[in-house]
Amino acid sequence: MFETSKSFLVIRICTILFIVIGIVLFLGSRHIGLVFLGAACVLWLIGEVLENGKKHLIEVLKSGFKTIRLPLAGIFLAFFIGGIFLLITGYQPLKSFGAMIYGGLVKNWHVSILNAVPLIFTALSITIAFKGGLFNIGAEGQYYVGTMAATWLGIRFDLPSLVAIPLIFIIAGGCGAAYNAIPAILKVKTGAHEVVTTMMFAYIARTISSLFIRFNGGDPTLSAHAYITDSISESTWLPTFKSFLPQANYRLHIGILIAVITALAVHHILHRTRLGFEIRAVGLNSFAARTQGIAVGRIILITMLLAGLLAAFAGVTQVLGLDHKMFENINAGYGWNGIAVALLAGTSSIAVVFCALFWGALDAGGQYMSRTLQTPTSIVEIVKGLILFLILARYLFRYFRRKA
Amino acid sequence: MWYAILILLILRKLIVAQTVLETLGISKSFAKIKANQNINIKLYEGEIISILGENGAGKSTLMNILYGLYRPDEGRILLNGAEFEASSPREAITKGLGMVHQHFMLVETLSVTQNIILGEEPRSWFGINYRKAREDIINLSKRYHLKIDPDEIIANLTVGLQQRVEILKALYRKARILILDEPTSVLTPQEIEDFFSIVKNLRDQGTSVIIITHKLEEIRAISDRVYILRKGRITGEFITRDVSVVDLANHMVGRDVILQVNRTNHETLDEICFRIDDLKVMNNRGIPAVDGLSLYVKPGEIVGIAGVDGNGQEELSEAVIGTRRIQDGAIHLRDQSIKHWSIENRIENGIGYVPADRQKDGLILPFSIAENVLLGNQNARSMIRYGHINRSAIRNRATKLISRFSIVAGGPDLPANYLSGGNQQKLILAREFDREPDFLLVSQPTRGLDVGAIEYIHNQLITMRDRNVGILLISMELEEIFSLADRILVIFRGRILKEFEREEATMNDVGFYMTGGTHRNSSNV
Amino acid sequence: MNVFIELLNAEFLIASVRLATPIILASIGATICDRSGIVNIGMEGMMLMGAFFAAWAAWKFANPWFGVLVGMLAGGLFALFHAWATVSLHLNHVVSGAVINILGFGITRYLLELFFGHPGTSEIIPHSLAEYRFAIPLLSRIPLLGPVLFNRTPIVYMMYVVVILFVWITRKTRLGLHIKAAGEHPIVLETLGISVKKIRYIAVILSGILCGLGGAYLSIENGNSFSEGMTAGRGFIALGANIAGGWTVVGSLIASFFFGMVDALALRIQVLGVFRVPSEIFLIFPYVAALLAVAGLVRKSRAPRALGEDFQIERSGT
Repeated sequence: MFETSKSFLVIRICTILFIVIGIVLFLGSRHIGLVFLGAACVLWLIGEVLENGKKHLIEVLKSGFKTIRLPLAGIFLAFFIGGIFLLITGYQPLKSFGAMIYGGLVKNWHVSILNAVPLIFTALSITIAFKGGLFNIGAEGQYYVGTMAATWLGIRFDLPSLVAIPLIFIIAGGCGAAYNAIPAILKVKTGAHEVVTTMMFAYIARTISSLFIRFNGGDPTLSAHAYITDSISESTWLPTFKSFLPQANYRLHIGILIAVITALAVHHILHRTRLGFEIRAVGLNSFAARTQGIAVGRIILITMLLAGLLAAFAGVTQVLGLDHKMFENINAGYGWNGIAVALLAGTSSIAVVFCALFWGALDAGGQYMSRTLQTPTSIVEIVKGLILFLILARYLFRYFRRKA
Repeated sequence: MWYAILILLILRKLIVAQTVLETLGISKSFAKIKANQNINIKLYEGEIISILGENGAGKSTLMNILYGLYRPDEGRILLNGAEFEASSPREAITKGLGMVHQHFMLVETLSVTQNIILGEEPRSWFGINYRKAREDIINLSKRYHLKIDPDEIIANLTVGLQQRVEILKALYRKARILILDEPTSVLTPQEIEDFFSIVKNLRDQGTSVIIITHKLEEIRAISDRVYILRKGRITGEFITRDVSVVDLANHMVGRDVILQVNRTNHETLDEICFRIDDLKVMNNRGIPAVDGLSLYVKPGEIVGIAGVDGNGQEELSEAVIGTRRIQDGAIHLRDQSIKHWSIENRIENGIGYVPADRQKDGLILPFSIAENVLLGNQNARSMIRYGHINRSAIRNRATKLISRFSIVAGGPDLPANYLSGGNQQKLILAREFDREPDFLLVSQPTRGLDVGAIEYIHNQLITMRDRNVGILLISMELEEIFSLADRILVIFRGRILKEFEREEATMNDVGFYMTGGTHRNSSNV
Repeated sequence: MNVFIELLNAEFLIASVRLATPIILASIGATICDRSGIVNIGMEGMMLMGAFFAAWAAWKFANPWFGVLVGMLAGGLFALFHAWATVSLHLNHVVSGAVINILGFGITRYLLELFFGHPGTSEIIPHSLAEYRFAIPLLSRIPLLGPVLFNRTPIVYMMYVVVILFVWITRKTRLGLHIKAAGEHPIVLETLGISVKKIRYIAVILSGILCGLGGAYLSIENGNSFSEGMTAGRGFIALGANIAGGWTVVGSLIASFFFGMVDALALRIQVLGVFRVPSEIFLIFPYVAALLAVAGLVRKSRAPRALGEDFQIERSGT
């Protein structure tokens, strides 16, 4: 018994290793990475069959196909409607979307990935809260806290990278978690709904962030906006792929790896551990969970702490990886876009990665499109809105089927 | 002179009394279950009839057909001699049908007046004419001797008064036929008496009343005629005066009243595994629901708590498992006080719990059977180690339990909401039994289940008892208590009013104490 | 002590009413919606839509009154979507509200670029409603209260009407009674032959219209142009006001006015510069106040019992 479970473990670890190697190589502009990713898929299939049996695997794939079918249809429909919109307003839909896809997936694919990194974290934060029956609508606030903490530490740290970076992750993540602890405690103690409280905390964090920028390198004499902080010390920068794979794009940093690994870890926690089991139990039926000895209040608190931690990570990777400083950025919108991605992913933490990449590609492609064809970028907003609207197709579909 | 008038009145009634409602061969099926088959019922003007039947006999289906919520598959309804096909409750209301549901259809935060006029509000240029509404209600309550304060908020009324509001609601809509669903299940004895006189009063003023119930005693006290419904069919029609309770019972159940359980005699150990002393627990409104309750359970015995719903049973079980705060008193498992233990601790130290609401408190429906088996066993080393779930172990465990408790399910990965009610209950029992508890609290274990499942569950409980588990059984079904319990405790207003050894208990005596034990209004039959 | 005397004068109260108006409007909308059983966290988006379309119409037709109408219409139409998703499609209310907010941000941003040709801020509207300030004769002569309440701009007066109208609706009319019943115990309505669906649609749309009006106030009366995300969380503060006000119209009014006062206080402190701290810190006041009010008062009041629950009648039984 022990032996077999050990072999599962080996296969799982190999799978993750292959995924990481594959991504690294691919991001380093070496297409052999794709082979590794394919191998990882095969390994995953083998692992599933060994552990749960063939029948179970077929069930999983079937239900996976079923869940992906309608969102895919929704995405196509959204592009179709968006195309009609472009046609009416006098642009060429096919050419525009062609440029968008070319820009998002081929020409500027690294921008898509850079866009996706913070989205993966915020969407994971919202997903894990969803699983616990909570709605972390204020992820944006925890993102700001993570950003501020990382910048503050980054400016002051003068340590070797290997020490500084993990330390910043831990401390800034802890700050985000602590920031979310207040709504969590209010929820458990007074019953104040987290939608109102986390949202208020998001606005508070945003307001404070402009102050923070003024006192960390911004111009303190400027009253309203003091755009930029000092840069963080170079030892705290996340390594880029270029540093070990010379063909890679110079901006591409290893944040995407951290994000993917985090997504896998969240999936593992939710579905394989006692904590995840308890989170899901509380989310689905807190009465039964309580009756069966789960400390519901404690689980709510832990869930919110984890959500805060993950959202803060989004800020940390953004500062350490890409910006290396903090901007006054009123409409960063990673919180809201994170909600969109989490909804699109339908509370699956693995699907979050793909949905975030897709969302990032939409933005990157939109920018490329408007630069080359002068089609307004904001068509992307319309398409995004439509997609979000069409995710509800799942519910629509169920509704009409029940009516019939 | 008086006699002449009386005779004339009776004659008039006999001659003039018209059929107000008649069903002709009504049938209704849900999926494979035939809920109603060929039902023929007649109701005359100014008459009270009862429809008597067990849970699941098809009473509520029939009622919902009459009220326009369901459409019958076959058959017709005649209302005052005319064809009546209600497609919505609204239509039934306009045709003079009024219904009082078992769970009152009242908005608790609104006033009596507002509840009564809802949907039929008298209007003035300024909105609702509350003055007129109030006057109408006062007149109505005078006419039918239904005293009520029209300005009181529903939440502040006793259950008996709330029922009065429901009746007024129907009368306000000019109901000529009143359907009452299990009207006495939540009333105190005093309220039951009041209720009887209200209904008789209504009859004397020409309203026809249908009472749907499973309680034998009330039939005698109130109705003129009785129909017996069993397994969706009418199995008997009696003039109430001419029939004994025993006859009614036999017709209703179709066999001896006591369910057949393979009940072996079992020696209880001479020790105490569970004890409650002077327990005091508040309900949600902050009123003591359990008030000075004491009891004990020995290993290897089933102690049954009989009582009318709402006398503190729910709060008692919540206090025992730990989801409700204990105000005062003590609970001991063996010799340890568990008052300050967490729920987790209680489960781990041998308290099992089968909750009354299996879908809300017992299972997580979207979870698979295997995950539901894991529920409550988060500390079991065999299933979770170092914080990690051993998936194959819980799946094996679930498979084993599925076969041992003959749960009809596709496999351990099936979500629990695909199981039938009986199989869901079996799953809960399986999980609790599998933990090998020393003490098991079982609340309403067979509510809403079919006969097969009931017998299976009863026999399982007996098996547990024979393994020297102490079982505390809370049930609203007296039959269940009588077929399982070794000792019977009667709960009334949060305390144990009377204790019976099983051999010395009769249904009449227990029923007498269930209603407070002060007046024998319904037990003289 | 001096500081406080300086803070609390007529000017301060005037500013409080000015800042409270949109919150009052939206929180009454929240109350109506919640009382019918539908959670509305999409008010931020509805207000944004109202603000944008009001500004656009006021600019396009050079008539701010037209802007008010179009703003209310936009809010109402947007709310229709929420009603449809939650009542007819049985979508989770909170999820639908979040989508409403995302769409609200996205659509206004897109249309801003499309209609005005550039992102960020719209053109300044030719005539703002602030030009139509008028004093009510006699009433405006009352000391202190007169200038504070009765020498105001049109939407503020509309807000008074809305408050009175909705107090009347909730207390005296059939609609109000049915809305309350729908939020407490919807099945009761169905057994009496009243459609819960219809009642909830009406309530949600009403709340959208009020949010639209609140948004319009921001863009064409308080200000003179639309800018991205200009509602700055007022929809959520209004939600908090509604909760702190115990799900009643008058309670919402009081709580919202309190938040308006906090807002005014923050501005005033900023202007006066009385404390030796950066003035932006006071901008967090209204959020903190809403937070504390919700956390402190949520236990004391009782939410409608069926709030946030999906309602569906099972007639077929199969």
